[in-house]
Amino acid sequence: MGFTRINGKMVEAQVVPGRPLFSQRGAMLGYTGDVRFTPNITGGQGGVMSMIGRRVANEDTPLMTVEGQGRVMFGHGGHHVHVIDLAGDTLFVEADRLLAFEGTLRQSTVFLGSQGGVMGMVRGQVSGQGLFTTRLEGHGSVAVMAHGGVFELPITPGQSVHVDPQAYVAHRGEVRNKLSTAIGWREMIGRGSGEAFQLELSGQGAVYVQASEEKL
Amino acid sequence: MAQFRLQGSRVLAVELGGDAVKARHGSMVAYTGQMTFKKLTGGGDGLRGVVARRLTGERMTVMEVKGQGTCYFADRATEINLVRLDGETLYVEADNLLCTEAGLHTGTSFTGLNGVSSGNGFFTTKVEGHGWAAVTSNGPAVVLRVGKDMPLRVDPGAYVAHTGNLHRSVKSGAGWTTVIGEGGGEAVQVEFTGEGLVYVQPSEKVTVGGDV
Repeated sequence: MGFTRINGKMVEAQVVPGRPLFSQRGAMLGYTGDVRFTPNITGGQGGVMSMIGRRVANEDTPLMTVEGQGRVMFGHGGHHVHVIDLAGDTLFVEADRLLAFEGTLRQSTVFLGSQGGVMGMVRGQVSGQGLFTTRLEGHGSVAVMAHGGVFELPITPGQSVHVDPQAYVAHRGEVRNKLSTAIGWREMIGRGSGEAFQLELSGQGAVYVQASEEKL
Repeated sequence: MAQFRLQGSRVLAVELGGDAVKARHGSMVAYTGQMTFKKLTGGGDGLRGVVARRLTGERMTVMEVKGQGTCYFADRATEINLVRLDGETLYVEADNLLCTEAGLHTGTSFTGLNGVSSGNGFFTTKVEGHGWAAVTSNGPAVVLRVGKDMPLRVDPGAYVAHTGNLHRSVKSGAGWTTVIGEGGGEAVQVEFTGEGLVYVQPSEKVTVGGDV
């Protein structure tokens, strides 16, 4: 099951009855077999209350349900696609970077601001990622989009990872993130190094970083 | 000593053990360990370097990265080529230079009309010394060897960098058909003669001669 990589920018998924997939609306490139695509008005799982939550949180990227029997290819905008397999752990990702995920995963929206108080809010503003993010947990695969290739950096206790907020794609596991600032007198007089804001991730898990500083 | 390696083809990983490297402004995507980032005023190499760059327009904003750990660099998902220099000189467009080891000096060199035709101005960046340099290209670059009786002509927009003892000159392929607007689209070419290596990318920047 899961997603099979065709090339760096396309994945293929096997759809069987009773195991639907969710994908970003319009991301289907081709399919074989008897597959139905239905727009998902609530934007994912969890019914109307979750829909309202997503609308409020601005994490309501239009999704569609893919069900039936066959094989479906996904890709979007020429972006690189990276497949992440979850085995009971949690993945945090921006909704607009989600290409497709298996229906066996539980989807929810989390408020990041609560994690770090005022700094959490600042982080959302600075990284342009908003205050909310999408959480996927359970067993299954997720296809995530990024500009340029994605590489994975492990996070272990005692070794935290600093990431440029623009290059951050997703993270998994028990990870705390905080925005660290390296603003000194140089930044004040316009002589900064261009790396004034960094996302510091610590705990146990992994972070996915893209080879570019451009948003999707 | 800083260790350069590629993480995939678009990310440069540099292992630092307390030493420093110079990198393009804002190109860090992630790091582990302890790092400090400091902007080098005017691109380093002291006051003379600053004045030279101001005058030549070959201005690159460079930061010094110093610390202990691994630092990852990338630039708009472009491919990265590692170039090892042992005393020779690398000529590269400032836009394509991502990172250099501490043992390398960067300067500017006059290219004259050659630079203008490729849309890069009169000057290009010169890197010399001993160590690693990381050069970016739009798409995977090919390295072409130029021999004594084998000159090479490249499209100015596809030229990225060169090393070795090469002389470059602009050649015009324009004839009367170009004048009446029926040119082959390759009116301006750069010819390399001598001995050395030329890095060419599978993509063309917009150049002055690009439309004819």
